[in-house]
Amino acid sequence: MSRLDWAVLIAALLFVVLWGLYKGRGAATGEGYIGGGRDHRWWLIGLSIVATQTSAITFLSTPGQAYVDGMRFVQFYFGLPLAAVLLSITVIPLYHRLKVSTAYEILEARFDLKTRLLAASLFLIQRGLAVGITIFAPALVLSVLLGWSLHANILLVGTLVMLYTVTGGTKAVAWAHSSQMLIIACGMLLAGIMTAHRLPAHVSLSDALHVAGGLGRLNVIDTHFDLHSRYNLWSGFIGGTFLMLSYFGTDQSQVQRYLAGSSVTQSRLGLLLNGMIKVPLQFLILLLGALVFVFYQFHTPPLFFNPGPVKQVMAGPDAGAYRALEGDFARAREHQSQVAEAYVTARHSGDPATIATAKGQLQQAHAASEIVRKQGVALIEKANPGTNPSDTNYIFLAYVLSSLPVGLVGLVIAAVFSGSMSSMSGEISALGATTVVDLWRRLIGGSQGQREVWVGRIATFVWGGFAMAFAEYAARLGSLIEAVNILGSLFYGTILGIFITAFYVKRVKGGTAFYAALVAEVGVVACFKFTAISFLWYNVIGCVAVVALAWCFSFVQPAEVQPCS
Amino acid sequence: SWNRLYAVVVGELLLLLLLFLIFTWAFS
Repeated sequence: MSRLDWAVLIAALLFVVLWGLYKGRGAATGEGYIGGGRDHRWWLIGLSIVATQTSAITFLSTPGQAYVDGMRFVQFYFGLPLAAVLLSITVIPLYHRLKVSTAYEILEARFDLKTRLLAASLFLIQRGLAVGITIFAPALVLSVLLGWSLHANILLVGTLVMLYTVTGGTKAVAWAHSSQMLIIACGMLLAGIMTAHRLPAHVSLSDALHVAGGLGRLNVIDTHFDLHSRYNLWSGFIGGTFLMLSYFGTDQSQVQRYLAGSSVTQSRLGLLLNGMIKVPLQFLILLLGALVFVFYQFHTPPLFFNPGPVKQVMAGPDAGAYRALEGDFARAREHQSQVAEAYVTARHSGDPATIATAKGQLQQAHAASEIVRKQGVALIEKANPGTNPSDTNYIFLAYVLSSLPVGLVGLVIAAVFSGSMSSMSGEISALGATTVVDLWRRLIGGSQGQREVWVGRIATFVWGGFAMAFAEYAARLGSLIEAVNILGSLFYGTILGIFITAFYVKRVKGGTAFYAALVAEVGVVACFKFTAISFLWYNVIGCVAVVALAWCFSFVQPAEVQPCS
Repeated sequence: SWNRLYAVVVGELLLLLLLFLIFTWAFS
């Protein structure tokens, strides 16, 4: 990091915090603090929704995913526009009409208190843990690649977020989101332009795409139906729609964003804006990863992008073997670069037979270098037992630090911080709101007004502190971090099922939905433990199971809660 | 007017799907 990079980074972070503090001042009531004054315009809601969903790891990991696995991850988002339309038609008018502050209030009016508390508690547990990982994961990448202190990084991000989130509430979060999205968009756009510019002069964008496609990195659509495959057209459209319905319709971290809209129209337009820009946005970030992959066809990459586990190998008995593999890998990649050059030359010749031959040779050279890389990864796994060493999250930032010009490095690091801060602020704000509305206001009988602003600030501060403490502790969790990420996908389908039952299965009353949700959740956990079904399908299984079980249970529910004719 | 906007959102998704299919086929 040069002085210019530091200047860009500090200026960007100051801009975000001061902008959030300035725009968030003046919340006088609990409703103003939690609901953001309910005066937000559609574009602010849309940016805030995108920013909450975009964590730092989203755009650290996504280009790396394209580098390693190709672009099929974009299919994960195919359900999002459909969910945005369905929610605009159904729940947004309902939430506005009932003037709810959290999504879970509806469940008590429709069923009973314990069903409301079940949904609110599931949100608090899984989101409270996930927000810690949200700030831990990028802090770990920065600490490994830049040598920064992990603890200082977590403390810095957490403190900056709490400055404007605790004081200003939902309004401060939304306005800070708009500045964070500006920084993220500028950083990623300039990184993309610079990556295309840094390809060899004779390699056009069309050549680059053919090199990436020839090596299987532009596989955007997979039409094969396979329950065990994580990302294909069907899991994206069906499982993805159920997941996004639950995330945007029942997760308070997103519901709070559009409940701050000044009207049904503004809330709908904000959610639909997100539905329109998310898929193209993810496609462009994945394309950036594919271009980084092409860049490394003409420049030799490291055998493994994450230097942490490599140090473990070099300190053990396999150091000599690993060093020899690094030499083999460098030679294999040198040969691959020459073959890639030959493929580009063949493409310029225009002769189909020459192009096909050169493409086959490139695929063979790539397969040969991948064999060496896999041998290196096997040594890394041997030296780091019990962990799952992966360098996917490190590829993009390692590339930025080694290959992008001074100033732009600082902007990309600022984008990483912005992503970390945007998701943390949206989530601790929602955790604070749920604590106030569903626990303090409901169970303790707290009143709205100035006092509730302070209760909201204390709750947000406590959740921010918990997130930072959990992030500090996460370094010792190892592969349990994956378990925290999986935790969310186990609950989303069940929570969606409770809400769909509330809206559309009128004969279900009282605690029936509560017991149906508990039984369905056991089924989802059983699917996770005993089958290889991909996680996107858990959302479908959980939701359908709750609705079906609640309908069945309704025939034996206590007579006093039978629906009137 | 709302239904028209919903149709635009779903139409954009279907158009993107078509473009992605062409993209996958053209560069494979």
